[in-house]
Amino acid sequence: MTIACERNAATMSVEETRTTTTKDGSPKLFATSDERFRNAQPSPVKGDPPENWLVLPAKQFRELNYRFGESGSGEVYVSLASGSVGDNVNRWFRQFGEAALSAADLEKLARIPIAGTEGVWVEARGEYAAGMGGAAARPGQALAGVISQVGGRLLTLKMIGLEAEVEAEKDSLKAFAASLELTR
Amino acid sequence: MDKKTKTTHAPTGKSLFRKVYDFLSGFHLATVTLLLLLLLTWLATLEQIDHGLYPTLNKYFSWKSWYLIPDMVPEINGKKLPIFLPGGYYVCALLLVNMILGGIIRIRKGPKQIGNLISHFGIIFMLLGGGVAHHFSERGNMAVSEGETSNVAEDYHEYVVEVSEVKDGEREEFHVVRGEYLTDLKGGKSRIFDFEGIPFSLEISGYLVNSVPSNQLERPRQKNELVADGYYLEEMPGEVETERNFGGCYARVIFEGGEKSDPFIMAGASYYPFTVRDGDRVFTIDMRKRLWVMPFEVKLDTFTADFHPGTSMPAKFVSDIRRLENGQESKLTISMNEPMRYEGLTFFQASYGPQGAKPGDPMYSVFEVVKNPADKWPEYSLYVVAFGMLVTFLTKLGGHLGASSRKRKNAE
Repeated sequence: MTIACERNAATMSVEETRTTTTKDGSPKLFATSDERFRNAQPSPVKGDPPENWLVLPAKQFRELNYRFGESGSGEVYVSLASGSVGDNVNRWFRQFGEAALSAADLEKLARIPIAGTEGVWVEARGEYAAGMGGAAARPGQALAGVISQVGGRLLTLKMIGLEAEVEAEKDSLKAFAASLELTR
Repeated sequence: MDKKTKTTHAPTGKSLFRKVYDFLSGFHLATVTLLLLLLLTWLATLEQIDHGLYPTLNKYFSWKSWYLIPDMVPEINGKKLPIFLPGGYYVCALLLVNMILGGIIRIRKGPKQIGNLISHFGIIFMLLGGGVAHHFSERGNMAVSEGETSNVAEDYHEYVVEVSEVKDGEREEFHVVRGEYLTDLKGGKSRIFDFEGIPFSLEISGYLVNSVPSNQLERPRQKNELVADGYYLEEMPGEVETERNFGGCYARVIFEGGEKSDPFIMAGASYYPFTVRDGDRVFTIDMRKRLWVMPFEVKLDTFTADFHPGTSMPAKFVSDIRRLENGQESKLTISMNEPMRYEGLTFFQASYGPQGAKPGDPMYSVFEVVKNPADKWPEYSLYVVAFGMLVTFLTKLGGHLGASSRKRKNAE
């Protein structure tokens, strides 16, 4: 042991060293806390969220994850999903109890920029039932989102929350969609 | 001890020195210390079931433990009796003194006592071996996969903080802050560490024996812990098997101008080190179990596990290895009860993995690496004790046969 000072000292000079071993690989530098503590892989999507959105850790099916609104209940998340644009648009509509759109109706939906391409802009409002985990339907909700095929993958950006709060964040959502970028 | 040794109470008029000498060399003290060791060993054996082997050994036999209160004490009206016992280390030390004074110096000298003297030397040798092992031995484990090479063992318990400069993506030298300088940094206490050749200091505080970094958004804090980059150290109950604990602490970098970085978490339960940039130099800071560099490399060629038919009871684990040193290669086998001893190190076959592997799956072998200067002393001391007892037996037998012969002659 070659530490030069006393154990209780407030400052110590460390002299003990060791050489590289077979356990020391090339270090991963500048790892984020998520990477250091959860071995989380870097997100395959990155974007520039507005400052008033609360950044949450990524989790399954949510590559980017945020909260918004004064109620604290609004959610925004980005997913890489499977299926077609039409299937996912209609799945979102079903969550609000709306009828599925035909292919012709889908063509009529607005397009907005997302991740260097264009995606279908989807809006719905009413009673929201996510249809997962037996959660109770929530009245007075609204959805705004974008669905697009990007690089052979289906990219979805979904905002769910109280109708007034979603309405107030629509422009921010569109700007965020435009800022999205696939990283791998 | 020789029962013929005089151990009666010192008559009045003896000097204090003589009284102390009589006490320390007496048969009574030997009896009491041996009974205490028996009691301590029995209690520790029972206690380690609930509290784990390592903490129990520390509690009962560490030099830091002057006295102890065993868990298994009688209760009166639901309250445990405060029974204090002396620490095993000091009981052994007292027995050593007793053996030297009573069993070597004070014992009656003569041809009939040669066997006793030899046995007492053996016991002294054994006690000294225990002390040497306690103070100077090191233990760790080395895991090696088939076809791979290792030159390092990892300590079972000690977490250290390592600082290293990265040059061309690699690190060559690691500055090591040993665990004994971290574990007392609790309750607001902090310490600043300087490293030769490193342009900053490291301030460490908030050490926790077992903790995991938790995301404050997912697991709200319970104790208003310090949050660093969205994470805080969540204290966990200590594991019974203490090698499963994850040490953790908070750190700040203090740059040459006195500027401090934001606090960051150092955790045994982390995948990657923390990175610090200072000018155009880059450093890693990591917390991990202490690595112990071996003077040679071990390459595992094959690992074989045999089980008793129809059971999961191990019949034989065999690691065929190559020891690589200075360009030389030695083929060896390490198996259960057949360790490799080399250059003061002993490699025991300890474990293997992965569990449930099928035939043909790549395996890894785990060796317990022990550096103990007194490694073979207990064995040798037992030989000495046994030889001394044999001499005593033969001396007594000779005396008995001689006496019988003389009786017969006298009768004739």
